[in-house]
Amino acid sequence: MEEPRFSVSEFIDVVNQTLDYAYPSTLVEGEVSEFKINQGKWVFFNLKEDDNSLSCFMPLFQLKIPLEDGMKVVVRGRPKLTKWGKFSFTAQQIMPVGEGSIKKAYEMLKKKLAAEGLFDAARKRPLPRDLTKIGVISSTGAAGYADFCKIVNARWGGLKIQTAHTQVQGMDAPAQIIRALKYFNEKSEVQLIAIIRGGGSADDLSCFNDEALAREIAASKIPVITGIGHEVDESLADLVADLRGSTPSNVAELITPDKTAILATVSQNIKSARSQFCQALIISYDTLNHYRDNLKDGLKAKLSQADTHLSEQITRLNGTILQHLNTLSSHAADAVSGARRTLLTKLNAEIEKNESAIKMVERLNPELVLKQGYSIISGKLAPGENVEITTLNQIASAEIKAIKERK
Amino acid sequence: MPKKTINQKIAELDELTNWFYSEDFSLDQATEKYKAAVKLAKEIEEDLKSLKNEIAVIDKDFTKE
Repeated sequence: MEEPRFSVSEFIDVVNQTLDYAYPSTLVEGEVSEFKINQGKWVFFNLKEDDNSLSCFMPLFQLKIPLEDGMKVVVRGRPKLTKWGKFSFTAQQIMPVGEGSIKKAYEMLKKKLAAEGLFDAARKRPLPRDLTKIGVISSTGAAGYADFCKIVNARWGGLKIQTAHTQVQGMDAPAQIIRALKYFNEKSEVQLIAIIRGGGSADDLSCFNDEALAREIAASKIPVITGIGHEVDESLADLVADLRGSTPSNVAELITPDKTAILATVSQNIKSARSQFCQALIISYDTLNHYRDNLKDGLKAKLSQADTHLSEQITRLNGTILQHLNTLSSHAADAVSGARRTLLTKLNAEIEKNESAIKMVERLNPELVLKQGYSIISGKLAPGENVEITTLNQIASAEIKAIKERK
Repeated sequence: MPKKTINQKIAELDELTNWFYSEDFSLDQATEKYKAAVKLAKEIEEDLKSLKNEIAVIDKDFTKE
C-alpha cells in the first residue's frame, strides 16, 4: 500500500478534519496564563496545568466573562492546526471553575454591569398585580422546581403556569435560559418570568453569572424574578432581575398570596364589619335611650312643676274656700241666731197669747160660774117647755111658765 | 357580565368592609352591605378552595436554536 503524500496545506486540512471528527466539541480545564487581546479583536491565552500548556484563541466577541491570568477556567472549543503549523485550541466558550476564579470573574463582571447601571434600583419593576399567567424557566426534574410547584399549589389557585424546561447548570445552561427568555417575551402572554434553581456548588450556579444571560434578563419586557440556590448564593442574574427570591420556595411565596392568610383576613374583615355594625347599633340604641331618658326627665320635671303649681293652686283655693266657708258659716250662724231670737220672741208672744186665751177660756168655764153660785139652764126657753137647771152640786127639772123680755 | 376574578372579589370585599369604618356609614344601608359582604366572603372562600393551578411544560426544545 502506497503511503499518502500531501501538500502542506492538504496535510493541515486533513489533520484539522481528523481533529474535527475526533473532537467536535471538547472541554478543557486549566489555568489561564499570558492572557492578551490583540487589535481589539482577538483573544490569546494559554491553558496551563503544571508544566503542560495549551495555546488558545478566540474572537473577542465570544468572550463572555472577564479573564485574568491565574483564573481557572473550562474552555469549550476545537483543536486546530494553523497554517503556520502551530497547534491551537480555538475556544468558543469559557467558564470559570473553582470558587476563587468564579468569584474573581463574578466580581469583575459585576463591576462592569453595575457601571452600566444594570443593577440600578430605578430599573426594577414591581410584580404585576392580579397575576394569573406565569412563565417558569427551570429544569423540570430539579428538586427546586418541585418545591416551587408544591408551594404555589398550596398557597394559591387559578394560575396558568408555563414551564420552559432548560438546563440550569453547565456551559449550555445560559444559552438555553436565554432562548427560554426570548420565547416568553416573543411568544407568550405571561405576566412574569421566574428563573428558578435549587441549591448547588459555586460551579453548579456559575452559569447564572453569564454576561449574556444577565443582559437578556435586563432586556426582558416581562418582569423577571429569580430564585437561584440559597439565601447566601448571589448571582448576576439575581442582581439584574426585577426581584430576587432567596430560593425557589421563596419565589413561590413572593409571587402568590397565601390563601390561608387571605381566608383568615376575609373572616377577620367580616367579623370586624359585624363588630362595627353592632357598635353602631349600640351607639344608636344608647342615643335613643339618652333621648328617651331626657324626654322622661323633662316630662317628669314638667309634671313635678305642674304638680307643685297645682298643689299651690289647690292650697290657695282651699284657703279661699275655707275663708268663704268661714264667712258663710259666720253669716249662717248669725242668721240662725237672729231667726232663733225672732222665733223665740214670736213663740213667747204666742205663749203669752195662749196663756191669756187659756185664762180667758178658764174664766168662761161653767164650773167656775157654778162655783160662784150661778146655775145653768139648758133647754128651749119657751112657755110650757121643760128645762134643766144645773147648780154646783145639783140638777133640777123645771117648766117654763112665762117669758118676758129683759131691759 | 364577565366573571369577577378572585382578586376583584377580594378588592370588592375590602371596599365593602371599609365602608363600615367610613364617613358614608349609615344604619339604613348597613344590613344590606353586611349581607353583601358575607355573601362575597363565602364566594371567595369557595373560590379559594376550588381553584386549581394549571402547570404545563412548554413543548419546545430549548437546547436548540
